[in-house]
Amino acid sequence: MTTSSASPKKAPRKAATRKRSATGKRPAAKKAPAVKPAAVLIVGAGFAGLGMAIRLKQAGIEDIVILERANAVGGTWRDNQYPGAACDIPSNLYSYSFAPNPNWSRSFSGSEEILGYIHHLVAEFGLESHIRFEKNVEDLSFDEKKGIWTATTDKGEQFAGRAAVMAQGPLSNCSFPAITGIEDFTGHKIHSARWDHEYDFTGKKVAVIGTGASGIQIIPELVKQAGHVKVFQRTPGWVMPRPDFATPAWNKKLFEKLPASQQAMRNLLYWTHESMALAVIWKSPLTRIAERVARLHLRRQVKDRWLRRQLTPDFTIGCKRVLVSNDYYPALQKDNAKLITWPIARLSEKGIRTVEGIEHQVDCIVFATGFDVSHSGTPFPVKGRAGRVLGEEWQGGAQAYKSINVSGYPNLFMTFGPNSGPGHNSALVYMESQLDYAVKGIRKIIENDLKMLDVKEDVQRRHNRAIQKRLARTNWNSGCKSWYLTEDGFNATMYPGFATQYAAQMSEFEERDYEAV
Amino acid sequence: MASIDLDKMLTKIKSTQWALSDIDWDAPGAELITEEQWPKLKDFMADLMWIEHVGARAFAAMAKKAPTDTLRQIYTYFHAEEQRHANAEMALMKRWGMLEGDEIPEPNINLRLVIEWLDRYSDDMPVYVLGTVVPMLEIALDGALCTFLLETVKDPVCHQAFEKINDDESRHLGVGFSVMEMQGRGKTFIGATKMLAPLLDPRLMLGIASYVPLLNKMRDNIITMGLPEERLYAAMAKFEKIGGRTEDGRRNPWFQVIRQHAKLVVNRRNRAYHVPVDGMVKLTGLIPRRALPAVPSWVKELTYQPTA
Ligand SMILES: Cc1cc2nc3c(=O)[nH]c(=O)nc-3n(C[C@H](O)[C@H](O)[C@H](O)COP(=O)(O)OP(=O)(O)OC[C@H]3O[C@@H](n4cnc5c(N)ncnc54)[C@H](O)[C@@H]3O)c2cc1C
Ligand SMILES: [Fe+2]
Repeated sequence: MTTSSASPKKAPRKAATRKRSATGKRPAAKKAPAVKPAAVLIVGAGFAGLGMAIRLKQAGIEDIVILERANAVGGTWRDNQYPGAACDIPSNLYSYSFAPNPNWSRSFSGSEEILGYIHHLVAEFGLESHIRFEKNVEDLSFDEKKGIWTATTDKGEQFAGRAAVMAQGPLSNCSFPAITGIEDFTGHKIHSARWDHEYDFTGKKVAVIGTGASGIQIIPELVKQAGHVKVFQRTPGWVMPRPDFATPAWNKKLFEKLPASQQAMRNLLYWTHESMALAVIWKSPLTRIAERVARLHLRRQVKDRWLRRQLTPDFTIGCKRVLVSNDYYPALQKDNAKLITWPIARLSEKGIRTVEGIEHQVDCIVFATGFDVSHSGTPFPVKGRAGRVLGEEWQGGAQAYKSINVSGYPNLFMTFGPNSGPGHNSALVYMESQLDYAVKGIRKIIENDLKMLDVKEDVQRRHNRAIQKRLARTNWNSGCKSWYLTEDGFNATMYPGFATQYAAQMSEFEERDYEAV
Repeated sequence: MASIDLDKMLTKIKSTQWALSDIDWDAPGAELITEEQWPKLKDFMADLMWIEHVGARAFAAMAKKAPTDTLRQIYTYFHAEEQRHANAEMALMKRWGMLEGDEIPEPNINLRLVIEWLDRYSDDMPVYVLGTVVPMLEIALDGALCTFLLETVKDPVCHQAFEKINDDESRHLGVGFSVMEMQGRGKTFIGATKMLAPLLDPRLMLGIASYVPLLNKMRDNIITMGLPEERLYAAMAKFEKIGGRTEDGRRNPWFQVIRQHAKLVVNRRNRAYHVPVDGMVKLTGLIPRRALPAVPSWVKELTYQPTA
């Protein structure tokens, strides 16, 4: 398309290491951006980045470049291919309303099927030609004079756009946790989000560290395959039963022939999940009921009193992500499985040493330990007006206006920005509101030929004061530690309200909230 | 003396952990156990190991009720550390040929009653009840039993293990007394009358009914082994001294209750206490094993094997 890299293969690929960009010795691209800016530059080709491109195209904006660091689309669903990976929001709601799929095979589809849907989006909306693969963005800077955003990759290539969309995903970076002795372990290590499909678990002694959303999906599958599975749990989560079933053929046909029926289904699911907000977000009588449902689920599936105690959470439901599973508890009670709740002291050459003094020796450790979430920084440097650096401003916790714009960083839109996270509903429902809001902003920039569209500082401040006030009353801020909160307990992640409220917040693009140049 | 900084303590706990495999359980020295010592030592170790295990379970209950996240984490570690002590003591028993096959030593009936009580009710007990009983038991262990053991047993592996155990134990005591003081400081915690209210709780009464004869029985076992009675007095004096070293500590009503009770236990001349309690020991001895429910599954987590 319109954009090309300024100085592409100056050095051989292998030599183009991160180190070089860190020392600042980049090809002299900065001075001579012979790059013709695209209308919109998007970072990330997951649900968000691709959805953004689709909505922009539908609004008549075609000059789009998507930068993706991997060599394939899909984000979360490309990376999370561990056995048992699936969504925990029904597929009819965990998909885009502007691209319904009548053929979901199950109520909760597996990772592979979701990835298939994403590939289908790329084909159906002709996105392939917009995507530049293996472009790992390491810097995003705004040129105030020209009104242009420039992205620089780890190889020193540059891409420019009049507007930029940060869609690099909230959960796209992961690493092995900093457990003492991790480098001493000589067995095999696998991170749930970077699955090793080559490794044969048959007959192996396996440890799984972590019992969050990924852990409880992996464990039942591993128990089927491996010789023995030890599950290391720090904090048990609330587990709800999962109404999972295969979609009957007549149902698919109905959705196909009568799209309105699928829309009706989606609406029903939407409102069911909305009502969950009352249980999950705030402490209400429904919270107690939800906890009771989860307790009953546990009681029905686990007969041993001590095991039940080990699996009973002691935080309010909703404070952390609510888990759904029918086969997790039964899997833990299989002869070749064991739940271990002793704290981990360290890893050793042969396994995991827990504080009760025992070394649990294993062939392989699966880390279902979640993601590196940056609450108080940005995944790569983002530089705005007058040399402002976003990561520095966000030291105490990220803040934005309506989760999508940040004052001082004009023409920049972010998906899954600060306080946009859903606790009870599909992320894609929230995403759709964000995409449409961004389209409105971007259209203004292009149609009015603006150099800058920058949200006003005081407007943003007022917005955040209100958000934090509302957050103080939610379950997330009720005292448990979770990835939603910073070390100091600041919640820069979740939106304190119904998805409907969020959609209402995003439905109006108020010009007076912005400075337009 | 100022209370310890619990956050710093937690960091220290996390960074100084040991495992059974740090000790060579087959190193020479086992032969230093004399033939005469062996049978008494076997009973002693079994008791000791069970007290550690029961203490572990008490910490698990305290973790559930801890007033702060730091304390919750500390108690979670202490739960595991007490289990480690029990495991290490079992490993010593194994080394000395005191385990029949792979069997865990049988708990005596009084222990069974305490285990049963802990399993049923301990999670419902306010943290300050267990928070006072546990330091008392620990100081008895630390101050009397373990020192005595080390004086009598020459096996260097035993000394190596108890050096580690005692290091843990002194931290448990540090935290224990600190928390007792915090609880005496009514402002942050609760008023005295309210704190004593659980005494009327039938569940706690049951606990007392199982705990009281256990102590008498253990005391007798220990004295048979040749432990001078004065050692127990000294340990109790230490509990009184440290627990009561500050105004706050003395104001903790549970400290007062446990202190008075501990005095009764060690003073064998107090017939008003010991005649009925010894009667209870005899009586509980008559409870048929099959009348008791199966041991809870947490008991089965004990192991003397350094690796699993
Ligand atoms: C196991 C799992 C299950 C989940 N289940 C659900 C569910 O049931 N319901 C729900 O609502 N949500 C769920 N989520 C949340 C999920 O992350 C979001 O729903 C959604 O997929 C996020 O899409 P995204 O495009 O924002 O991010 P991603 O899918 O992470 O896509 C971001 C893309 O950006 C790329 N990228 C990142 N950094 C750079 C860079 N510096 N330069 C260039 N490219 C970059 C990445 O490679 C990736 O392709 C789940 C998440 C996980 C991990
Ligand atoms: Fe101990």
